Amino acid sequence: MLAAFVLLPFFWMLSVSLKPADEPFSIPARLWPKAPTLDNFSSAFRPEFRTYFVNSLIVSSATVVISVGLGLASAYAFTRAKLALISALMGLVALAQMFPHSAIIIPIYKMMRGAGLLDTYLALIIAYVSVTLPVAIWILHGFLAKLPYSLLEAASLDNAGPFRTFWHIVVPLSRPGLLATAVYVLIVTWQEFLFALSFTSTKEMRTLPVGLNDFIGQYGIRYGELMASSILVSAPVIAAFFLLQRHFVAGLTAGAVKG
Amino acid sequence: MTSRRLRWLLFVFLAPTVLLLGTFLYYPMVGTVIESFYKSSFINPNPTFAGFEQYRKIPGSRDFREVLVNSVAWTVGVVALQNLLGFGSALLLNAKVPGRGLMRALVMLPWVLPGVVAAILWRFMYDPQLGLINSFLIRLGVLDEGTAWLADTSTAMPAVVFAAVWKGFPFCTLIYLAALQNIDREQLEAAMLDGARAFGRLVHVVIPGLREIIAVNVVLTTILTFNYFDMVWVLTRGGPKNATHIFPTRIFELGFGQFRFGEASTYGVFSILVLALLVTLYVLLRRSRQRS
Repeated sequence: MLAAFVLLPFFWMLSVSLKPADEPFSIPARLWPKAPTLDNFSSAFRPEFRTYFVNSLIVSSATVVISVGLGLASAYAFTRAKLALISALMGLVALAQMFPHSAIIIPIYKMMRGAGLLDTYLALIIAYVSVTLPVAIWILHGFLAKLPYSLLEAASLDNAGPFRTFWHIVVPLSRPGLLATAVYVLIVTWQEFLFALSFTSTKEMRTLPVGLNDFIGQYGIRYGELMASSILVSAPVIAAFFLLQRHFVAGLTAGAVKG
Repeated sequence: MTSRRLRWLLFVFLAPTVLLLGTFLYYPMVGTVIESFYKSSFINPNPTFAGFEQYRKIPGSRDFREVLVNSVAWTVGVVALQNLLGFGSALLLNAKVPGRGLMRALVMLPWVLPGVVAAILWRFMYDPQLGLINSFLIRLGVLDEGTAWLADTSTAMPAVVFAAVWKGFPFCTLIYLAALQNIDREQLEAAMLDGARAFGRLVHVVIPGLREIIAVNVVLTTILTFNYFDMVWVLTRGGPKNATHIFPTRIFELGFGQFRFGEASTYGVFSILVLALLVTLYVLLRRSRQRS
């Protein structure tokens, strides 16, 4: 039952994407096309789609690198600093996770417009880093809190500078946590819709989710191509998730459940 | 004994984060409140000060009442079903069955799927002529002909909720599966195997052990659901006749569809208040139940 509930829509998506254009939809629906074809995929991979794909790739990869990097740096500062202010700051980071994007988007939009950043990668990257950073810090903080700090003390006794200690000891030890956070940020950024819809207006700058939403009108009821495009949009994140699944689950739950 | 060099490094590490979150999360939060006292429209794009005018007008309007009722129904429906389904599936996937590893990975698929893709997929599932759901119900003899689930004011909200539950429940599964690892295995298996009293034991063994996690997760999914824009926007754009308009879709439509940024911001402030109220109500409810 559970398997059917989860997987049937996926199966249907795949089946329709492989259906030749001339094979009619029958009522009741046929679950698997008579003569499967990849035609829908080749027509889905049109020039606009490629533009959207490149845009998504640029924005997402920049966001992942910056957000994970800043996240680790901040999480490290939060674990090491001995200041009364720190726990208040941690609270503010946690609180910021809950801000509704729709409620803060108008002032951000006006700032971006004022700076002439609408329709640029930079506007999306800044917005995405800001909204993913609190969660990244949170996951990595849960992870760093469990590291053996005697190692760090030993390293600082060796008179290695604090940055070298961080770079040569903390970063390698955090690898599983970094991977988990990267997958999380990628999943969130790759599908982000509201900011992308509001901050971009030209076809050249749209990302995949917005482009896909535009396709609904253009394709009408050519569901075959729409489903093929949907599969192409989803493939990269699904692949990343399955490759790093183990790290992701362990890292996320360490941060979320015990943190 | 933090050395001066370490302190300097930590400061450099923290500064960009403080700057970013301050500028792009905390300042906009204040900005929305300020904006809510101004008025602007497509014809008059220059904001003029309106004081409390929008705070007086909006709460009494029919639009607002519809958005409020929809938002609460949507949030409560999605959160309750996601947590129930997430909890049930976590219990299932925690049992030692063959293929468990694969199932655990596959169950996450809807959550990994981009929101717009999930919404388009469900638009298609609900299609009156071509959709799988109508086809299935016709074959079962429940329906004589296809229903336009998303176009009917009485079925649109349940349909949107159902799609959102499908998309989001794996996150609950993930959290509850992780939490179940902390519960004594033997106790759990005894409870699962003991036929007649299985449910009673489950309630007595599992639920108390997970009380904290359940609470945290309900609050978390409430926040995520209340603010979730993609599913409703792609499935119905808030229609038909406002039947599925929730705060995020209404704010977007007012702001970016009609350039009424002031009104959109007032809705934004109300949305934050309503969300805070929902979370507080849940926490109070839980506390009073625990005491009794």
